[in-house]
Amino acid sequence: MSIQHHPVDELLTAFAAGTLDLGQHVAVATHLTRCSRCRDAMHLMEHVGGAVLAGLSPTPMSGDALSRVEARLRQPVVYEARREEPERGTLDDMPGLPAFVRRYPAASWKWIAPGVRLRPIRLPAESDTRVFLLKSAPGTKMLEHTHTGTEMTCVLTGSFSHEAGNFGPGDFDLGDNTINHHVTVGAGEDCICLVAMYGDLRLAGIIGTLIQPFIRM
Amino acid sequence: MISPVRQGASDSGYWASLIEAVAVHEDRAAFGALFEHFAPLVKTFMRRSGVTEASADELAQETLLAVWRKASLFDPSTAGAAAWIFTIARNLRIDSFRRGRRDGLTESSDVDVEFQVDESPGPDSRVAADQAETRVRAALAQLSEDQRRVLELSFYEEKAHGEIARMLRIPLGTVKSRSRLAMNRLRNLLGEFS
Repeated sequence: MSIQHHPVDELLTAFAAGTLDLGQHVAVATHLTRCSRCRDAMHLMEHVGGAVLAGLSPTPMSGDALSRVEARLRQPVVYEARREEPERGTLDDMPGLPAFVRRYPAASWKWIAPGVRLRPIRLPAESDTRVFLLKSAPGTKMLEHTHTGTEMTCVLTGSFSHEAGNFGPGDFDLGDNTINHHVTVGAGEDCICLVAMYGDLRLAGIIGTLIQPFIRM
Repeated sequence: MISPVRQGASDSGYWASLIEAVAVHEDRAAFGALFEHFAPLVKTFMRRSGVTEASADELAQETLLAVWRKASLFDPSTAGAAAWIFTIARNLRIDSFRRGRRDGLTESSDVDVEFQVDESPGPDSRVAADQAETRVRAALAQLSEDQRRVLELSFYEEKAHGEIARMLRIPLGTVKSRSRLAMNRLRNLLGEFS
């Protein structure tokens, strides 16, 4: 099935500009890994970035800047001590994630509601966005919910649908506080999504109130 | 301001040839020319991103040092010289912001790999650099000068927008809405050229 739902242009531009919060960057990168059309658009925006750079008025460098850099040209490159990268990434069992995300440490799956499990991913830098995988059993009806912030979702396997259409592998969904979701998971297989959540999820009803603390992690 | 005139095709080819001279011959004179031209531009880029004068100077030096070290990775078939140097500056800016938030205690994060998303199987349809540059230049040329000025804003973090609003002497909300309009127009124009 081909990809139907893409990030809006502003998000692709923010990705190319490097202004996205790391958690949101991860969600957009997950879509880009699957979608050559959006990769093209993103690379075009990098060219716009080049044009922006080329068109800026220059700020004079400090007097000895060039000689200081030249003095370092012959020095061997000193790489900072890296964390030991695991031979295999923690998330290698998850198809459809960008290579750099597969190396991030992830906790094990946690039960959060009937048919729904959540696996938090730990980001290597501070981020206002929490990133996790959400696995839902076929046919699960997710709780009606709205958001206090934005939520980005990229499907890895399986599918779900809500008011805006059907979402399969690679599809990208942006939710914000204007949207009231009625999500139904597709039949046949588990649906695994990468979710980047900024702000809190507001679930409707008593069950929502009960499981809210779990989602907040 | 983005000036479509200064960013001519031959101009871009010239800078690309200097990067290749650095890659192949470790050509110091070519590096000097690249430094004199691009370091002051990168410094302005960092200043507009809200970086202090001293840090902007340092980050511009680091960017050009990375140009020397990574010159062999420069692929003129997919990236123009300015676009490539922009991505290096962008990644160093991200790295610097992360360090700043951690009070110097850094766990080195590799920003470069976070932008490696070209890994799907099959032939990559990535647009060739000269074609992309032509498209971008043609599209930018059709924007008004005002639109080009606000478009620049998309390339800085939001917190830097206030300063730019003051510089352009227009309210912040206006800057944002104009920036969005300019972006939509640009994407439509880029679409027309595909």
